Amino acid sequence: MSSAWGIIRALNSGVKHLAVKRFTLRYPEEKLKFVGDGFQFDPQTGVGIAGLKGRHILFHDKCTGCQLCAIACEGIAEAIAMVKVNETWKHNKKTIMPQIDYGKCVFCGLCVDACPFYALYMTNDYELSSFSKEALIYTPSQLAVNPKVNQDVEIKIDERGATHG
Amino acid sequence: MTAPLPPGIQLEKADDRIMTLNVGPQHPGSGHMRLIIKVDGDYIVSCDPDPGYVHRGEEKMAEYRNYIQNIPHLERPVIHDSCNILYPYCLAVEDLLGIEVPERAKYIRVIASELNRCVYTLYWLAIYGIFLGHSTMFMWPAGDREFCIDLLEAMSGARVTHSYFVPGGVRNDVPANFEERCLRQIDYFEKRLKQYEDIFYQNPVLKQRTEGTGVLSRMDAIRLGTTGSVLRSAGVDFDIRKKEPYDVYDNLDFQTQVLKEGDSYARSRVPYLDMLESCRIIKDALRKMPKSGSVRTKLKPNPKGGNEEAYRRVESGRGSLGMYVVSDGKPEPYRVKISVGSFRNLICMPYLLKGEKLGNMPAVYWSLNYWPVEADR
Repeated sequence: MSSAWGIIRALNSGVKHLAVKRFTLRYPEEKLKFVGDGFQFDPQTGVGIAGLKGRHILFHDKCTGCQLCAIACEGIAEAIAMVKVNETWKHNKKTIMPQIDYGKCVFCGLCVDACPFYALYMTNDYELSSFSKEALIYTPSQLAVNPKVNQDVEIKIDERGATHG
Repeated sequence: MTAPLPPGIQLEKADDRIMTLNVGPQHPGSGHMRLIIKVDGDYIVSCDPDPGYVHRGEEKMAEYRNYIQNIPHLERPVIHDSCNILYPYCLAVEDLLGIEVPERAKYIRVIASELNRCVYTLYWLAIYGIFLGHSTMFMWPAGDREFCIDLLEAMSGARVTHSYFVPGGVRNDVPANFEERCLRQIDYFEKRLKQYEDIFYQNPVLKQRTEGTGVLSRMDAIRLGTTGSVLRSAGVDFDIRKKEPYDVYDNLDFQTQVLKEGDSYARSRVPYLDMLESCRIIKDALRKMPKSGSVRTKLKPNPKGGNEEAYRRVESGRGSLGMYVVSDGKPEPYRVKISVGSFRNLICMPYLLKGEKLGNMPAVYWSLNYWPVEADR
């Protein structure tokens, strides 16, 4: 008798969920909203600023070509290579800037922690898929572009359950 | 016997009743691990676990990287529980380098590691559900996991491999209005957890399959050196958060969950009760957390330790997780030894499966809270 009651309770619990709102995020149409504009780091305080660890953004006017980001990546993913750029900056004598291979990057953000010149941050862009391995290698000029993101859906919780937007 | 047997099944002797079965290493449920099972009819005569298929040499790799560079790859063995596996490493390195951790960072660490315990346990519970043919129990935890992942994403910026803990605190402070968001989502998450009781834990079908199977007695649990939920389900009150409190666990209000039965049902229920306890810890920590302050002690570039050693352990989702770090005065550690709960619980397998029906094997196997990648390191 108790087992019959248990099955009724289990079924009842499932049936109640017919009235609950759908929790699924319909991904390509809807995108989850993140905190801030991506993971950043303040070298003065030595503490990061919360945000998604997505694709990097490189500020050419601040990068000095010091290679600290590439050194930080050694032994982790080895995704950062320093390449020559055809730009003339007073603070960048060697005219080298990081180039990031997203086929290798693990998005740990330690390169951002290593940059003492506020030149390398991360953004909310996480859609980096491509048809070839070569297209995953982002050159300094590609990294300078601020990505367009359309993320506005948040988890909403009410009496009838939790839902996305 | 004229027809050739399919690969994986071999009769040792044709007139013998014993047959050897290889479960794994590519069994969809076993994880990359092999169980060599000998069956007589439907009953298991002996079981020999054969781990090591996903050995990656994490301990050796750690000897070539400095204390900060070790962070992203030491969390790889358990990406679902990445805060808890970095916790003992950070505590041990803090002992070696003599770093003080700010008070607020200690609370943030506790919240992150409890959220991560929920993420891991829900994933484990989802697989336990599908192992037993309960597909609703696969969908529900996989969906509710989003609440915890969402909070961790807001804190650390990554969904699974957070790289959030560093020796000296955490990488970044929690975002603004995190407290209310966390409280709202944890409240709802707790409400959802209570619904699992009806559909899964009080379900007579589940009880028939798991109650009384794979019984581990209290003395055996101690003798075999088990840890975590396996030990606590056998009636031993042992939780490192209580016995050797690290960071601020001694300030927080929680209880250890202990069951006496020691069967698969108890082993599957203790992690669930731990999750409810985690919700209490998170709420308590949010209440007691200092509202502002530093979260990271600034390290020197390339920090070096003396000729010292440190061993610290924490309670992870799978039991005691310890790290033994030896320093010889260089920026890289001389040795990092990882002692994991999964591997220690694996030894129960031959004892528990002996005499069980073959159909009960998944119920016993996954209830041991075993994670093959972590056990192989």
